Amino acid sequence: MRKIWRDALIFVVVAVSVPVIIVLLIHFTPQPPIGEMEFARETLSEAGKNKADTYSKKLYTQAKSYYDSAMFYWVKENKRFLYSRNYNKVLKFAELSAKKANEAGENSISSTSNLIIKLKQKINSLNDLISEINKLFTTYPLTSEIRSRISRGKMLLKEAEIAYKKGQYLQANRKITDSEYLLNSSYDYATSNLKNYFKSFSVWKNWFDKTINDSKINHDYSIIIDKFSRKCFVFHAGSKKYEFDAELGTNWVGDKRVKGDKATPEGMYKIAKKFEGNKTKYHKALLLDYPNDEDMVKFKAEIARGTLPSSAKIGGMIEIHGNGGKGIDWTEGCIALTDKEMDLVFRIVKVGTPVTILGSLVDLQHIVN
Amino acid sequence: MKNKVLMGLAAIAMVAVLSSCGKKPQVEIDATNAAIEAAKTAEAAVYVPAEFAAVQDSMTAIMADVTAQESKLFKKFGPAKAKLATTLTLANQVAANAVTKKAEVKKEVETTLTDVKAVVEENTALMKKAPRGKEGAAVLEQMKTEMATIEASVAEAQGMYDKGAFMDALNKVKAAKERATGINTELKDAIAKVKGKK
Repeated sequence: MRKIWRDALIFVVVAVSVPVIIVLLIHFTPQPPIGEMEFARETLSEAGKNKADTYSKKLYTQAKSYYDSAMFYWVKENKRFLYSRNYNKVLKFAELSAKKANEAGENSISSTSNLIIKLKQKINSLNDLISEINKLFTTYPLTSEIRSRISRGKMLLKEAEIAYKKGQYLQANRKITDSEYLLNSSYDYATSNLKNYFKSFSVWKNWFDKTINDSKINHDYSIIIDKFSRKCFVFHAGSKKYEFDAELGTNWVGDKRVKGDKATPEGMYKIAKKFEGNKTKYHKALLLDYPNDEDMVKFKAEIARGTLPSSAKIGGMIEIHGNGGKGIDWTEGCIALTDKEMDLVFRIVKVGTPVTILGSLVDLQHIVN
Repeated sequence: MKNKVLMGLAAIAMVAVLSSCGKKPQVEIDATNAAIEAAKTAEAAVYVPAEFAAVQDSMTAIMADVTAQESKLFKKFGPAKAKLATTLTLANQVAANAVTKKAEVKKEVETTLTDVKAVVEENTALMKKAPRGKEGAAVLEQMKTEMATIEASVAEAQGMYDKGAFMDALNKVKAAKERATGINTELKDAIAKVKGKK
């Protein structure tokens, strides 16, 4: 009987003490920072959803690296004896990870919205720039390299717009940067070229005034060619009688310098000869007295300065002729009108009629605006 | 005496069983990681980024759960095993979705490439019919440069397609198509205007 009681007592003691020991064992075991790790993980995930891996890459990478460190130390501590584990480093890295992930997420949201605004503004301003380029330079003889750069700039802008619409803002930004470089550099080159060209505006104005004045005094015809607007004006006694579209040399910007440069000369000339029938292949033609004395002085000065080779020729045979109406600058340096217009001009002018060829009758400021 | 020994052994066995009833599901972890890697190889990050990120997040959470269990005296890997099974299925699904999406994008690039080549060809023919009146020829000259840029862009997109970079090729070829279509409209309008005048 006593034995039964003793066994029962031992059983109760064991039954009670085992769970107590287990509870005590668990209680005094160092606890890993599970909650903090979970928080860090969720914050990282949230940052990822806000595209921090793309728009706040540095902070996001740091946050991820801290999380990986926390996991590394957690696994390392788990390998140690239960009671000698220390999760302080795990906790430290988990907290750092959460902090950085939070910063990365917020930074990403802010960067993305700033980028969206910036991209929209850039797209609009580049489209305005393209309109400006089209307005100013469609008929301007830019080099094929510049035209190609402008065209590539337009294409890149279109690609940027597509990426922007898809929410691929970084890609859009890269395309816009490239497009901006191509368009701006081409525009700057072209406008500086144009500004440089228009430095002679006051000279052109004087030529124009003198030509009109002479026409008034002599009560006779005179012809003005405005290269920039591609116009041929016929004046009589100081009043404009006719206005035609004119076509020029393919490289019409600037004065003619040398034979074969496909430039239309600028200056005050006179009709030297009139050709028709089999004397010309351009329906009818009015040969100008190019090169005049002033052209010869300029040409010789260039040879002397070495800006032209000593073997260079000044050229000649600059005419106002027919076969025009092509809508493009195509001549070797002459001025082309339609045959019908040429008939009229040919009839009213004579050898000696003044022909003034100038860059523009309107200043650049007015053209740009 | 015999009973005492038995009871002692029972207690030790109980502790041993309780403390080691869970074994780290390494096989399942490896299988799921392999499935995620397969999804990555299928370019899930490019074609189904949100789904792929969700799978990665899920795996990160499971690994934290497994590590948490390893910290415990009495380990319980049952829930982690169940989550691993779900994530494995999800990773396989994401890989399949990536393949489907990639095929869709590839098809879209092919269609757009065919379309843009046809528009370029039509534009070349239209240019011959386009009016060359005042500024018309100058505009046509400009269009020729634009067409050369479009053709270069199409060639570049074709190169990207050949390399399997379908997403990059798509944006490029779409831009080329928009520009070519714009020129096509301009040319048709100009021709229609001239016909209208006659």
